[in-house]
Amino acid sequence: MEFALILELSVNGIFIGLMYALVAAGLVLIYKTSGIANLAQGALAMMGAYVVWAISAQLGAPMWLAIPLGLIVMFGAGLLTERLALRRMIGQPVIMVIMLTIGIEIMLRGVLPGIFGAAVKKLDVGIPNDPLFIGDILINRATMIGGLISLALVALSIAFFNSRLGLMMRAVSDDQMASWSVGIRVDRAVAIAWGLSATMATTAGILWGSTQGVDWSLSLLLIKALAIAILGGLDSIPGVLLAGVLIGLAESLATGLLDPLVGGGTRDVVASVIILLTLLLRPHGLFGREHIERV
Amino acid sequence: MSLLVLNNVEVVYDSVFLAVKGVSLEVPKAGLVALLGANGAGKSTVLKSISGLLAAERGLVTRGQVTFDGEDMRVLDPPARVRRGLVHVLEGRHVFGHLTPEENLIAATSMHPDRAKVKRMVEEMFTHFPRLAERAKAQAGYLSGGEQQMLAIARALMTEPKLILLDEPSLGLAPFLVDEIFDIVRRINAVSGVAILLVEQNAVAALDLVETAYLIDQGRIVMSGTAAALAANPDIQDAYLGGAQKVDYHAVKHYRRRKRWLA
Repeated sequence: MEFALILELSVNGIFIGLMYALVAAGLVLIYKTSGIANLAQGALAMMGAYVVWAISAQLGAPMWLAIPLGLIVMFGAGLLTERLALRRMIGQPVIMVIMLTIGIEIMLRGVLPGIFGAAVKKLDVGIPNDPLFIGDILINRATMIGGLISLALVALSIAFFNSRLGLMMRAVSDDQMASWSVGIRVDRAVAIAWGLSATMATTAGILWGSTQGVDWSLSLLLIKALAIAILGGLDSIPGVLLAGVLIGLAESLATGLLDPLVGGGTRDVVASVIILLTLLLRPHGLFGREHIERV
Repeated sequence: MSLLVLNNVEVVYDSVFLAVKGVSLEVPKAGLVALLGANGAGKSTVLKSISGLLAAERGLVTRGQVTFDGEDMRVLDPPARVRRGLVHVLEGRHVFGHLTPEENLIAATSMHPDRAKVKRMVEEMFTHFPRLAERAKAQAGYLSGGEQQMLAIARALMTEPKLILLDEPSLGLAPFLVDEIFDIVRRINAVSGVAILLVEQNAVAALDLVETAYLIDQGRIVMSGTAAALAANPDIQDAYLGGAQKVDYHAVKHYRRRKRWLA
């Protein structure tokens, strides 16, 4: 096996992993504030990409305007989802809330292609497609830029959780009743988390949409994001970063090295195997916080 | 005029269960008042009707008035009540277990926009509660029960309250720790003039601390007066203070003395 091939697969895998991590960070953001795994995160990414495409292609806005507009629209969509659907579920069993998010996922996956047509839409955000050569290795320019943007956003969200507002969100995730009793507006904190999470999903949707086109399959990002969030620990943003890189690497190496031997398709197996192994061996994930029990 | 006035408050859970049946009580400015009673008498429910936290448990004040500082509280949500100076220290402490003590304190300052002031207040709390300063970098979930109770009280003080609703601070604590916590409560009341409404099952310790007390049984206030008067009452001594006279257990008949107010 040539060294250069492995290096090339690794570098590209890391960038792809970072792009997955951006979707996973949105999952973690909601889980950290309200304790719900939002299974509609992939659909939100898809919706964000559709919205940006619609603003630029249907309404004719230039891309530099369409992207910020799309982010704002999706922030509002996140707030609305929380306000109209999730807030009614306060006090209900967690399983019902999770079923609700699955319902939102299925609905969006059906409705959006229904409105805009099922054909793959081309979303050109102006990232050049020609590859970049560094020495012998070939790097996909689109995934490199996408990976770096994702890295910056995830780093930003780590900084956010150390700010005062982020601290209050962590307090809400620890104990909603106690947060309420000391004057934290719990409903507002949860709504902001949903808005920010939808914005992050949209960024991921735009980046992925620009590399593979916009259609319903963007919602499948959920599977990778879940694998990353579970491996990293559902409530740890640094965990998401490391797990994203690991899963990107594993996927890329599996595709490059195993596919020729078994006839293809290993890429999608990797995420599932990692979910399974993490849950069996380390249910809290790499960095997830453990339940504190005093004895 | 009193700081807090409850007038004939009635609380219903889940639209069917009447837990508090017309409770009236008053807490004067800078007063120290206890609400005593047995398990399930409705003590915590009364506190939650004052702080508004009933809403999280599908409870509702269906009748009566809750007036704090001359303002009707029933129309305000809990965070708004905290901003008026009414803070609730929950039973079982409820510290933010994965946050450090310092972060716990800062989390309770959403009403203070001034960061320098928050920083000053945190330092002040650490001088009042040196045990918390020692554990400032640990996760609060790993603190001892007494330390967690101190943290819960300190966190409530960060909201700059006029009245603290203190629910069962002695729960699960060793007797010497109960004394320490009650000393802290006394000091807060005396030094900073914060009024305190204390809910306790530990009637001996509570009557030693407060000026006036109310006794609640099955959702009704059945007795009220100065702490000394309540402590001297033979019914209270029998039911809550473990009996004052020595009892000859050979002579005791096999029924319990009936609580006279139930007649």
